[in-house]
Amino acid sequence: MSAYKPRFGRVVPTIVLVISGLFFLAPLLTLARFALQNVPTILLGWSTLFDKWSISGLTKAFDDPAFWPALKLSLELAGGTVLLTLGLLLPTAIWVHMRIPKARALIEFLTVLPYMIPAIALVAGIVVVKPHARWFLDSDYALIPFYVVLALPFTYRSIDAGLRAIDLTTLVDASRSLGAGWIETLGRVIVPNLRAAIVSASFLTAAVVMGEYTIANTLLKETLPRFQRTFTGREPQAGYGLNLLALLVTVLLFAILSLVTKKRERSLISRLSRKPT
Amino acid sequence: MTTLDFISVRKTFGPTVALEGLDLNVRQGELISLLGPSGCGKTTALRIAAGFEFADSGAVHVANADISRTPAHKRNMGMVFQSYSLFPNLTVTDNIDFGLRTRRMSKTDRQRRVGEMLELVELTAFARRYPHQLSGGQQQRVALARALAVQPRVLLLDEPLSALDAKVRTTLRDEIRRIQTEVGITTLFVTHDQEEALAISDRICVMSQGRLEQLGTPTEVYRTPTTAFVARFVGSMNELSGTLSGPGEVSVLDVRLGAPHATGATGAAVTLLVRPEDLTLAETGLVGSVANVTFQGASTLVGVRLDVLDRLVSVDVGQGAADHLTVGDRVHVAVNAANAVCETVSQ
Repeated sequence: MSAYKPRFGRVVPTIVLVISGLFFLAPLLTLARFALQNVPTILLGWSTLFDKWSISGLTKAFDDPAFWPALKLSLELAGGTVLLTLGLLLPTAIWVHMRIPKARALIEFLTVLPYMIPAIALVAGIVVVKPHARWFLDSDYALIPFYVVLALPFTYRSIDAGLRAIDLTTLVDASRSLGAGWIETLGRVIVPNLRAAIVSASFLTAAVVMGEYTIANTLLKETLPRFQRTFTGREPQAGYGLNLLALLVTVLLFAILSLVTKKRERSLISRLSRKPT
Repeated sequence: MTTLDFISVRKTFGPTVALEGLDLNVRQGELISLLGPSGCGKTTALRIAAGFEFADSGAVHVANADISRTPAHKRNMGMVFQSYSLFPNLTVTDNIDFGLRTRRMSKTDRQRRVGEMLELVELTAFARRYPHQLSGGQQQRVALARALAVQPRVLLLDEPLSALDAKVRTTLRDEIRRIQTEVGITTLFVTHDQEEALAISDRICVMSQGRLEQLGTPTEVYRTPTTAFVARFVGSMNELSGTLSGPGEVSVLDVRLGAPHATGATGAAVTLLVRPEDLTLAETGLVGSVANVTFQGASTLVGVRLDVLDRLVSVDVGQGAADHLTVGDRVHVAVNAANAVCETVSQ
């Protein structure tokens, strides 16, 4: 029996991969050159490829007095959003999985709504209620509930996938039969077995917060994306350098996430493939 | 004295009646098996005892105290589940320790208790392993140790052997019985496997459609089933059509059989349910021809197709007794209907 031979061998997939890679990397490289080379844009070419690379643009951003407060606020918002999202979503998803599994499709649909309805629609709603809810909207942390909604499509899926991978009902029943209440069961059984899903949901939530501009701008909150926008207007080169750095940090975080998740998947696969004897 | 009582327990799920007035008393140190087909309500009864479900009406008592509304985590029941229920993130030791920690026991006491449990299930060498590093049988032994570690008042076993292969199943079955007897714990064991129930139980509670059909020792349930359902469900049965020819007497073709359990009007059409071991190959009796011979190790089953009834019956003959038989041989089948269940056929 002959082994399966791909119709186009390895050449076509390799070409597709290279083209896709270039499509992704080329703009990043040009962005890096624009942001980090102290060479006039008109002179950026092959001959100046290695000339005058510098991170002075970035340091300029770091020296800006508005940068660190904006970064701090965004990190606080990311932390707050992660906590609120998990606090609301974990018990809800567990409840749905255990008690009303038939409602899973409906919940999935509801959580995907923020993905279908653009953020600007949410902003329009905020504008309407703003005069009546100033006491709440004046706080920087008023952004957190909106970010929770925006992150729902990503976070719910992540938690849901984690819950599907474990025998939730049996684990909960086992824990309760051993004398553990709901909170202890959550802390000692469910959360440790959903670690990868929770890490994944947290990263995705943080990524949404660190990149959100529309709502922050509407509510006039000095978050990192808003700082990036105004700073780029003032200092285009340094601003794009900062954008590039933010992008690289995000990619790095997702690479770590991918590694953590893969490790978890490998362990799960090895566990499932081990036939009981 | 820890007894477990179900008192007129009824439970419905929407329009489906899962339990219809279940009354059952499990005595101190006794192992009762709930045996029945899928959907008969046996797991529901167990889950109500555990506190995972609440009865619509009726009560559950442990040691004569009503626990019907007590939440699961306050009932002090030990439970072993059908699917491997060990916590994947914890080692064998930590799994067994789980319930002890919830009870805020001192570290020294916990360590001693975990050690005792590991010895009881003979898994001391596996203490530091994670569940995925154990076989199915080992996992269920750890689950049993974990359930017993907290010194529960009642042990609940929900088909703990059904995910295991035949050999491990038999070994673990005997081990569960050994440990249960050693610990002396009141136990409710759910199974759909009649062989398992017959082997392990002090008494068997056969259930059908949410009702208790028969409660008795394995011998009683097997030898003297009280209903046709129990007769058919536990062990194998031959069905012979006949008529009631008098009190305690049934005629099958022209052969009159003494069937003490047969009641009803003379002349009524009945079906006699007779075990294969109550049929013998003899010089006289119902006439038929050998349809098949099945060697079963300790005994041999001979399938005989009866001439007039055109019905295949199984005759359990001793080792070597069927050596001379071949398919098509003419034989006579004698029937001992002393323990037969007689079912009236509705016209």
